[in-house]
Amino acid sequence: MVDYATTERVIARPRARAREASILRNLDWALLLAVAALVGYGLWAIAGITKHDQSNPNYYVTRQAVYALIGVVGMVAFIFLEPAFWRRHAKVVYGLVIAVLVVAPVFGAEVRHTRRWIDIGPFRFQPSEFGKLLLVLFLAAFLAERGKRIAERQTTLAATGFALLPIMLVFLQPDFGTAIVYAAVLGATLFVAGTRWWHLAALVGGVAFAGAFVLWLGPAMSVDVLKPYQRARITGFTNPSQDPGGSTYNINESITAVGAGGVNGRGPNGATQTAYNYLPEHATDFAFASLSEQRGFVGATILLLLYLFVIWRAIKVITLARDAFAAIAAAGIAFALLIQIFINVGMTVGMAPITGIPLPFVSVGGSSMVANLLAIGVLQSICLRRR
Amino acid sequence: MLAAFAVLFFRLWALQVLSGSQFLQAAENNQQRPQPIAAPRGPITDRFGRVLVTNAPGTAVQITPADLPKHGAYAELRRLTAILHVPLTDVTTQIAKAKHLGDTLTPVTVKDFVREPQIRYLYEHQSEFPGVTIANSFLRRYKFGDLAAQLLGYVGEISSTQLEQMHGYRLGDKIGQGGIEASYDKFLRGKAGLKQAFVDSLGRPTRPIEVKSLPVPGFAVRLTLDAKLQRAAQKAIVDGINRAQANQQWYANAGAIVALDPRDGAIRALASYPTYDPAVYAGRRKRDLAPLIDPKVAEAADFPALNRALAGVYPPGSTWKPVTALAAMEEHILDPNASLHCTGQLTIDKQVFKNWDPFANQWMTLPTAIAQSCDTYFYQVGKRFYDLPADRGQPLQKWAKSFGFGQPSGVDVGPEEPGLVPTIKWRQQTYTKKTDPYGWQIDRLWKSGDSVQLAIGQKDLQVTPLQMARFYALLANGGKLVTPHVVADIEQPGPDNGPISGPLVLRRFQPPTKELNLDPAAISVLRDGLFQATHSGSGTSSGVFGNFPIGVAGKTGTAEKIVTVHDSTVLTNTSWWCGFGPFAGPTLVVCAVIENGGFGGAVAAPAALQVFEQYFGKKASGIATKQAD
Repeated sequence: MVDYATTERVIARPRARAREASILRNLDWALLLAVAALVGYGLWAIAGITKHDQSNPNYYVTRQAVYALIGVVGMVAFIFLEPAFWRRHAKVVYGLVIAVLVVAPVFGAEVRHTRRWIDIGPFRFQPSEFGKLLLVLFLAAFLAERGKRIAERQTTLAATGFALLPIMLVFLQPDFGTAIVYAAVLGATLFVAGTRWWHLAALVGGVAFAGAFVLWLGPAMSVDVLKPYQRARITGFTNPSQDPGGSTYNINESITAVGAGGVNGRGPNGATQTAYNYLPEHATDFAFASLSEQRGFVGATILLLLYLFVIWRAIKVITLARDAFAAIAAAGIAFALLIQIFINVGMTVGMAPITGIPLPFVSVGGSSMVANLLAIGVLQSICLRRR
Repeated sequence: MLAAFAVLFFRLWALQVLSGSQFLQAAENNQQRPQPIAAPRGPITDRFGRVLVTNAPGTAVQITPADLPKHGAYAELRRLTAILHVPLTDVTTQIAKAKHLGDTLTPVTVKDFVREPQIRYLYEHQSEFPGVTIANSFLRRYKFGDLAAQLLGYVGEISSTQLEQMHGYRLGDKIGQGGIEASYDKFLRGKAGLKQAFVDSLGRPTRPIEVKSLPVPGFAVRLTLDAKLQRAAQKAIVDGINRAQANQQWYANAGAIVALDPRDGAIRALASYPTYDPAVYAGRRKRDLAPLIDPKVAEAADFPALNRALAGVYPPGSTWKPVTALAAMEEHILDPNASLHCTGQLTIDKQVFKNWDPFANQWMTLPTAIAQSCDTYFYQVGKRFYDLPADRGQPLQKWAKSFGFGQPSGVDVGPEEPGLVPTIKWRQQTYTKKTDPYGWQIDRLWKSGDSVQLAIGQKDLQVTPLQMARFYALLANGGKLVTPHVVADIEQPGPDNGPISGPLVLRRFQPPTKELNLDPAAISVLRDGLFQATHSGSGTSSGVFGNFPIGVAGKTGTAEKIVTVHDSTVLTNTSWWCGFGPFAGPTLVVCAVIENGGFGGAVAAPAALQVFEQYFGKKASGIATKQAD
């Protein structure tokens, strides 16, 4: 496949000037505007959500704005970066994924029994958020390279094997939610790359079995993969009122917060679930519940519509992609975004297990914000160099 | 993708639009902490308005289980209990109970009466004790110590079984747990107020507390009791026990005295010994409470919590003879003026029955037989009952029932024992192959001995001192069966819950008396006999009452009872005296019982005299007790 890369470079050079001149024309402006609206809306939401959390009501929103700015700079940089860059350095990308995920548990700061964060100066950095994008890019490169042998079993197995290592690393942090997102990324990239349906079915079956094993069969045979608190939280959503003071406390308070929001919301001052801290982690994992309480059905709907629009544009980028790598990468990014939104929103309304994954562009957290903006940058870069 | 979003929208719609108000309420409830404001409990006074029980305002420390931190609650409780000197397990079990009942918002009281320095410490370190609140509380104060302890009862936190059985009560409510406090709880308790606190998830207040309703103090309960007479009665029991011990009755250890007005059944004194200071219930000290609640310790201490006047059952012995005589006269099988031979012993159906005085040899009419308490006279009466044809039924038992024996008297304070009037049917039901495998075929039969022994108040018969007092009231008032009662009325308490000035009576209690339409001549003969017993030279208690300026008539009793003391079985005598005065127009009936005290004339009679002395404000000029039944 080396010749393919060369061909592209040969073609790219003469057209480079014209391309750059038409960057403004070829960008997906709708996507860009939608993301800008999403970030702005997220900042506004966070301003309300964190109003009572610190003595300075603007503490979190200011920080978050700074992260957004860093993210935007990164996004612009990624727009200029050719997608082929990632493909060329696929091995480095994979090494990076593993490196950051290994560094987290070894050097990471322990927060609530997990090691997900690395402190760099004043910043706390969550490598698994960046790992998500890097994994997408690596898998896209790998599957694009194996384009002709995509139907072979070895390809599927190899891709799964490559993905399994970071999934396990994330799982061991432990961060069950992000592990699910990684697995979803694997599935999405395989699907778009054209893997045989029964390979996918076997994979899904395997994941389903692993899930069942981890949650029910394992404990029954006293093989505990998950920590008890994790299992209780994950299975608790099926019956939220079984233990309101314990493992299902979060889900109860979250559903109460969402429901209490009503149509128009209770406003930042009237939303007692958030203001009086009944809803834990309301600025991060449960940001959606908090937003729903403060801004109501209307506010939550606006956010969901913005997401819907962004994902629709992302899927459109898949169809525009000029080569297999770009298409697979775009699909991975779009699907990762979708699954994060669905799991996060789903958990706050009691339809999905409680796992600690952030709500894209809204939850307080620099890594998530920057990583998601970088992912949009990659999407734009793909869109820019469309067919 | 669209499907995923559609599902989320649908769910949001269901939560926020369709059931939004319900969740809004849940969110509101989350931060609201309704807390009861304790109402001062009504005072209890004696008939003259002397306050027997009132409240001492205190400061209580409480915990709202819902507001305890999710981590470190145990450490917090350990610190708190160490400061308050309360056993940690007491608090943790209470919290566990609250959680079990699903009510974690009602505060649990850790300690009722907390001293000032500890309260100040908790206020200063409020942030270290999330979920801990400080509230006003009221503790019962017993001004006269052990006065009428069993009668007054005590106040305690409602138990989980009570919570299930009673309506209108909440977890953590304090309610009367026995005696007057329990039976008149609904008047005494008042109505708790309500305040609303608002807290965040860590139990820290977010807004000032709102008072929703003010507490309404409880009503005062005025008893028919006379505190001074009660004091005298309690002292009389102790003196009686000492007197018995002086007579080598070493097992004498307990007793009861009932004094009531025979005209309406108003109880003037209701004493039971051993007793206790009810203040032990107000503190939380297990050791002091053990004799009252731990069966083993209670037995060693002779059951101080038992109100022997209502719930102590004894064979009445010779104090029962007027019952036998009255029943026999009503049945026309005894002519009170005819003489029967009183002998030292009597053989009936080959069985020898002894008289308490083995040297007796005299023909007696009924009044003399009562005065000298001749057993053999009454054995003959008992045999007459036994010899009645079957179609006459069991008249002695029937009359005993109509005089109030074998059933609760209906007194307005509990717990009360019904006692036992043995009947043919009772014997058949009690002695069966199962309960009595070796002798049941014999034991289940009613034999002449049963009738003979019943006539002198022995064997299976069991009565309470209150039932006996009620019967002597019937003799004193000319045939009316009164309903004994201890509460006179319910009143609006005066200011400051203190002595009542110008009371407003809300409700007066006057339980019914039942006219039995007895033969006045029969009652008159019995009264005559009772007067001779206290005044003629050979009367069983004439040495005690003969010199008392007020004419008191009454009967001694010495009931044989088998008791187990220190694992050995001994036959002891329950010492009785029941009577009334003044003879011409009785205003007081007294019944005294000293357990294992020996002869009634030697121990119970002087004890009863002490009560009359206090009541009439007059002293007897020297007494001479007699070892007489």
